[in-house]
Amino acid sequence: MPGMRIRLDPWPVDIEDGQLGLNDFGGVLIDIETPRWAAIAARPLPERLHTVYVVDGKRRMESRVFIEDDQGTAGLGAFGAYVVGAVRLCPHGSRQAELMDVRARRVLAHAPGLRVDPCSLSPRDPHTGQLQYTPVETDSAEPLAPLHKLQSVMLQEEQLLSHGLASQVPADEMDDREALSALTLQDGTLRRGGAKYSGAVVGYVKTMQTQYLGADRIGLLSTLKPGERTPIMHLKSETGKTTRFTWYVRLCEASFYQHPMSGVMRLEMYAPEEPDFLPPIVRAVANLSGTLLCRLGSTAHKDPRAPQNLIPTAALEQAMGRAMGSPELVTRRIRAHIAQQLGREVLA
Amino acid sequence: MVLGTEDATPVSFWFAVMPGASVQMDDLVAVRTTKPDGSPVHFYGIVDHVRTRHEGVSFDSDVQDVMAGLLPASVSYAARVLVTRVDPEDFIPPQPGDEVRHAQGESLRLALSADKMDYAFAGGLLADGQVLPINYQFVNGESGGHINISGISGVATKTSYALFLLHSIFRGGVLNQRGEGHNTRALIFNVKGEDLLFLDQPNRRVAEKEGAVQGRKGWSQGRYSRLDLPVEPFRDVQFLAPPKGGSGDAIVPDVEQRSDGVLPFVFTLREFCAGRMLPYVFSDAGSSLNLGFVIGNIEEKLARLAAGDSVPYLTVDDWQPEPDVLIDEDVRFDEMGKTRLQTFSQLISYLEYKLLEQNDGEGDPRWVLKQNQGTLRAFVRRLRGVQKHLAPLVRGDLSAAQAERYRPDILRRGVQTSVVDLHKLGAHAQGFVVGVLLRNLFEHKERYGRQDTVFVVLDELNKYAPREGTSPIKDVLLDIAERGRSLGIILIGAQQTASEVERRIVSNAAIRVVGRLDLAEAERPEYRFLPQSFRGRAGILQPGTMLVSQPDVPNPVLVNYPFPAWATRRDEVDDVGGRAVEEIGEDWLR
Repeated sequence: MPGMRIRLDPWPVDIEDGQLGLNDFGGVLIDIETPRWAAIAARPLPERLHTVYVVDGKRRMESRVFIEDDQGTAGLGAFGAYVVGAVRLCPHGSRQAELMDVRARRVLAHAPGLRVDPCSLSPRDPHTGQLQYTPVETDSAEPLAPLHKLQSVMLQEEQLLSHGLASQVPADEMDDREALSALTLQDGTLRRGGAKYSGAVVGYVKTMQTQYLGADRIGLLSTLKPGERTPIMHLKSETGKTTRFTWYVRLCEASFYQHPMSGVMRLEMYAPEEPDFLPPIVRAVANLSGTLLCRLGSTAHKDPRAPQNLIPTAALEQAMGRAMGSPELVTRRIRAHIAQQLGREVLA
Repeated sequence: MVLGTEDATPVSFWFAVMPGASVQMDDLVAVRTTKPDGSPVHFYGIVDHVRTRHEGVSFDSDVQDVMAGLLPASVSYAARVLVTRVDPEDFIPPQPGDEVRHAQGESLRLALSADKMDYAFAGGLLADGQVLPINYQFVNGESGGHINISGISGVATKTSYALFLLHSIFRGGVLNQRGEGHNTRALIFNVKGEDLLFLDQPNRRVAEKEGAVQGRKGWSQGRYSRLDLPVEPFRDVQFLAPPKGGSGDAIVPDVEQRSDGVLPFVFTLREFCAGRMLPYVFSDAGSSLNLGFVIGNIEEKLARLAAGDSVPYLTVDDWQPEPDVLIDEDVRFDEMGKTRLQTFSQLISYLEYKLLEQNDGEGDPRWVLKQNQGTLRAFVRRLRGVQKHLAPLVRGDLSAAQAERYRPDILRRGVQTSVVDLHKLGAHAQGFVVGVLLRNLFEHKERYGRQDTVFVVLDELNKYAPREGTSPIKDVLLDIAERGRSLGIILIGAQQTASEVERRIVSNAAIRVVGRLDLAEAERPEYRFLPQSFRGRAGILQPGTMLVSQPDVPNPVLVNYPFPAWATRRDEVDDVGGRAVEEIGEDWLR
C-alpha cells in the first residue's frame, strides 16, 4: 500500500478558491470526437489565424448607498464601476500586442421602483474629469442585488465584446469555408445565451472546481505533456440548460510538489443541445489550443496564478484596474458630491 | 509634456517625449506654465538625462513577452531637465502636462541668458548646431575673468579649445564691437612639442575635416560659418624660442621643425641680476626657510652689483678665477683689473667663490650672513643643476644691439599673439621663463593699467602652481589669478587635474571648461559645478567636445568646436598654398 502523499495546490491561499475543487459533476458528458481516451498532440498554429483576442472584465463596488427618490420611495443601491477590455495580439508574434477598448463605465445600481437620475460627479480639481454614473435597476431589493447587477452588466458587455471581435464562423454546418482568422479567448466559462452571437469564442477556465471526468479517466490529465489535450467531449449540465464542447489542455509541467493537475486548463466552446456531430471549427480550435496557450501561459515568479492566468490577461487586469481609477479618490469624490448635494462642506 | 509621476520642481523636472519626437542630452528646452492669475512663467533648461522604458510591466524579463507580441506595453520615453533660468523669477513648479518645446532662436537666447550679455563671443556649437554665447565681460575681467580648462592629456583638447576661444575672441567681432581689436593680445606658452609653432599657417586638413562633419550632420553650413568665424590661421603672430646652447655670436632658436620666423630670446646677465630673476630659478625655495633667506640675500646683492650700468655683462673687482677651477676659458678682464662676468656659469662660479671659497672657505661675511655652509652648498648645487638650461638663456657676451633685439617683448607693436616655445627646456628652466615673463608682464601692467587685455595661455598649471608648497612662479600666478583681472591679464589655464592645482587659481576662473576626465578625478570637489550626470559623462567625452560652465548659466553646456583652421603639426601645414607641386619645385630651383 503506498504511503500518504500530500501535494500543494499551486494557487496562493488568498485567492478565493484553490485551483482544484473536486466537486462532483451531475450532468452528462459524451465523447464526441473519439471514444479513444488518450492524449492528442498539439498542432501548429495555422498561418491564416492572424489575430487572437484575449477578453476579460473587471468590476468594482465603489459605494453602497441608500436612495430616497422625490416620491418618497426608498431602497438600496450602489455606485459601481466596471471595465471590459481585450488584448489584440498576433499569435505568430509579428505585431506588438495592444490593449483595446479598456474604458471604465460606471453605474448607479438601485432597487426596482425608484426614480433615479443620472449622477454626474464634478471634480474639485479640473484635471481629474467628470465621473458619470448611469442608473440601472436591479432585479430585486435584496442587499446583494446591486453587486449582482453590476456583475451581470459587466458579463453582458464582455460577451458583446468577445463575439464582436471573433471570426464569424459557422458553428453547426458541415462547411469550413470561412477561415478561422480571428479567435477570442474569454476568461472564465462561457455565458449563457452567447451562442446566438456566434463567432469563434473559447472560454478558458483556470480552476477545476467541478470534477467532470470519472475516476477511470482523470488519470490522463496527470500524464498530459505540455501542449497536449484530451479528446473533445460534449457536456450538458445537470439542468440541461447549458451545453458545451469541452476539452482539457496542459500548459506546463506540474512541479513535483504540486498536485498533478496544476498545469491543466479546461476550455469550452458553445455547442448545440443535441450532440450529433463535432463542427470542424471546434476541432480546429482544439487542435491549436495547446500551442497557443503554451505560448500565452505566464510563469510562476511573475504571476501567482501561472500558467493559467495568461500573460495578456495579467496586463489587461492591470490596465482595467487603472482605468477605473484609484478607489480612494473615487469614494472621496462620491462623499464630496453627496455633501455638496446636501449643501454642506465635507472634509474629504 | 511635463510628467506627473515624477516631482516637477523649479530647478528640475521630467518630461515625456511624444511618439515621433526625439530629445537628446544637452538639448535646450523651454516650458511655459501659467500661474492661477493667468500670467505666464517660462522655464528654460538643459536636458541632462534621457531614458526609455516599458510602461505597465513589472519584470525586466517582460520585454521578451512584449517583443513576442504577447504582452501589451507602451514605451515611455522621458527626459530630465535641469532648469537654467526661470523668467520671470517666480519659482513656482511647472505643472504636469505643460508642454515642453525645443528652445530655438529667441528662447534659446533666453535659455542661455544671452540677453543678459552685452558682449558675447562664440564658445562653440551646441549639440543641435546652435551657437553657445559666452559673456565676454566674464572673460576680460570686467565682471569676472580667467578661464580654466581641465581634461586628460593625449586627446589634445585643452590647448585646442583654448586656441579656439582665442580665435573666437580675436576674430569673432566682440573686440571690434568694443573697439579693442588693436590692443588685445595673447601670450601662449608652448610646453609640449612644437605643435604651436604653426599657428600662423593654414591647416590643409581643415576643409576635409569640416566638410565631413557638415556632411554627417546634414547642415547647409559648415561649423565655422555657423559660428561666424573665418577659416583662417592666427594673424600677427610672433614665435619666441630659447636659443640653442653653446657660445658663439650666432643666436639661433632651439627649434627643429620650423626653420624661419622664430625669434630666439635671451636675457642679459645684467637683466638677470637687476631684474631679480634669481628666485625664479628655484621652484622649491619654499621647502626650506634658510634657503629662501639665502636666495633673497643673494638676489639683493646681485641687484646692487648690476645697478648703475646697462652693458649686458657684470664686472666684479674682488675675484680672480683660478684657471684650474674654471669651466670657461674665456674669462675676460677689464682694463682696471676687474673681472668681467659674461656667462651664467661664471656668475655661478663667482657666487661659489663669494659664498664658499673666499676667506679660506669662510666666504665673504657680507654675502654669507652667517648662514650654514650646508644651506650655501645647497644653493650653489641647485644653481649648477640648472646651469645647462639657463646658460643659453642668460648671457653676458652680447652686444647691446643684440640684447635689445633678442629681449623677449610680448607687447611688441603689431603682434597680437606671442608663442613662447619652452618644450625643449628642462622643468626648472621652463618655470624660470614662465615666471620671469609673467612677472615682467604683471609689473608692466601694474604700471600702465588695464586698457590692453592680455590673455595668457598656460598648460600644466599643476606644475607651475601645485596645490602644495610655495614658489615664486606660483606667487606670480596667484597674483594674476587674484589681481590680474583688474589689470587686464587673463589666465587661460589648463591642467589634467584641477584637484592638483592651487585652489585659489581654479576658483578664480569665471569660465570653467571640462574635457574628457578620468572618472575618479571627476568626483573630486573641484568639479562640483558639474551636476552628477555630467560628471559621469565627462569620462566619455570625445575630442572636440567640452562642457562649458559660465556664471550666467547655472548649468554647464556641452559644446563642440571645429577642427583648427591653423596647423597644429608640421604635416598639417598647407605649404603648397593651393599651387601645383611642380610650380613650387620650380620656385626652389630658381
